Amino acid sequence: MRKISLIVLISILPFALFSQNDLLDILNKDSIPGTVYTTATFKSTRIMNGHSIERMHEGVLDFRISHRFGTLNMGPYEFFGLDQSSTHLSLEYGFLDWFMAGIGRGAYEKTFDGFLKFSPVRQSSGTREMPVSVSFMTSASLRSLKWSDPERMNYFSSRLAYVAQVLIGRKMSEGLSLQIMPSYVHRNLVTTELDPNDLYSIGAGGRIKLTKRISINAEYYYLVNPKKYMSQETFDPLSLGFDIETGGHVFQLIFTNSVAMIEKGFIGETTGDWKKGQIHFGFNISRVFTLKAPRRSADDRGVKGR
Amino acid sequence: MRRLKFSLVIFAAISALLASCYYDSEEALYPDLNTNCDTILVTFSSDIVPMLANNCLSCHSNAAAAISGNNIRLEDYADVKTNATTVQDAIKHIGPNSPMPKNGGKLSSCLISQFDIWVRDGMVNN
Repeated sequence: MRKISLIVLISILPFALFSQNDLLDILNKDSIPGTVYTTATFKSTRIMNGHSIERMHEGVLDFRISHRFGTLNMGPYEFFGLDQSSTHLSLEYGFLDWFMAGIGRGAYEKTFDGFLKFSPVRQSSGTREMPVSVSFMTSASLRSLKWSDPERMNYFSSRLAYVAQVLIGRKMSEGLSLQIMPSYVHRNLVTTELDPNDLYSIGAGGRIKLTKRISINAEYYYLVNPKKYMSQETFDPLSLGFDIETGGHVFQLIFTNSVAMIEKGFIGETTGDWKKGQIHFGFNISRVFTLKAPRRSADDRGVKGR
Repeated sequence: MRRLKFSLVIFAAISALLASCYYDSEEALYPDLNTNCDTILVTFSSDIVPMLANNCLSCHSNAAAAISGNNIRLEDYADVKTNATTVQDAIKHIGPNSPMPKNGGKLSSCLISQFDIWVRDGMVNN
C-alpha cells in the first residue's frame, strides 16, 4: 500500500513540476505589481541538522563545513568531547532560483550523499497573498563503510538509503520563523526483521532573532515508528543552537544528540540521550561564492533576462 | 522545451532510484551467519585478530593509536588483554567509553559474543 502511494506520488511529480514552472514563470517575471516576497525566513539552508525552506539563489555556490564532537558527558579528560570529531563537507549550488542540488561526504559511516531541493511556493503578501513557503527535498546516501563481515555476500544496494521531505515554513514576523517538515526515510538494509526499512517522521523547527546578526534556533524530529522494537536504542533528534551571520559566512553553533548530519542518519540512528548528557557540541560553517551574476540585478538594469 | 527535458530527466532519475528500493534485513538476508556463529571454539588467532584487524586497527594499531586511537593499542596480544574490558563495553555501546567502532554501526552480535567468550575463557593467546 505504501509502495503504491509512493509510486502514485512519484508519477504525478512531473506534472506537479510543470505547474510549478507556470507558477515560477510568474514569479520570475515579478509580473504581479505590489507583491512582496518574504526573504530570509532562515539565515541558511539548514535550520540545525536538517534542511530549511531556504535555497541558494541561481549561480551561488555554498561550501559547508560541519563538525560534531564527542558527547559532553565524556568529561574533562576528553575535553568534553572535543577530542573526537566527526565531519561533513558539502558543495551545494543553486542552478535556478527555485532549484538547488548538493553533494557531500560525512565521516559518519563514511557516507557520500546528494540532494535536490525544489522551492515552488514562496511566502508573499500584497497583491498575491501566500501564507507559507514550501520546498521539497529529496536525497540519496551511500554508506561506504567496510562491511563488518566481508566474507558474506554483500550487495551494493544495501549501502543505499533515500529521503523525501516536504518543508513548510512561515516567517511569522521579523523575529520569528517556524517550519514543519514531514519526512520519509527508506533504508535498503536494516539489522533485524523488526527494524523498519521505512521511517516516518514529523519535524518542527524555528528560529528567534536576537539581533540583526544572531538568532537562536531549535529543531526536533518526532519519529512516528515505534522505537521499542529497534535493535539499537534510538532517540528523537533534538538540536538547539545559534546562527551567527558575518558577511559571506553563516556560523551555526549546535548542541544536539545526533552525530550524523544527514537526514538518513539523524532521523533513524540518533543514539544520544539528552537526559544522560549524551549531547554533541558542533558547528556548521557556510561560505557562499557567487559564481554567476544574479539575474535579478540584470533585470533591474533593464537588460532582458534569459 | 528545456523545462520539459529537465522534468523528464528528474523523473527518470527518481524512477531509477525507486527501482533500487529494497526491503532487506541482515537477519533475513544472512540467516546462516546467525546459526553458524562459532561460539564453541573461539581462538585469539582465528577469531579475535581478524575481528580487530577488520574493525579496529585503522585507528588502534601501534602506529596510529597515539594520533587517532586515544592511545589504546589493539594490535598485540598483551595490549588486547589489558584493554579487554574497555573493548567489551565500547563495542556494546555501554559504559562511559566512546561507542565503537567510531562513526559506524555496531559490530554483528556474533563478533561481540565471540569477544565475550574469549574474555570469559581466560583471554588465552591461542
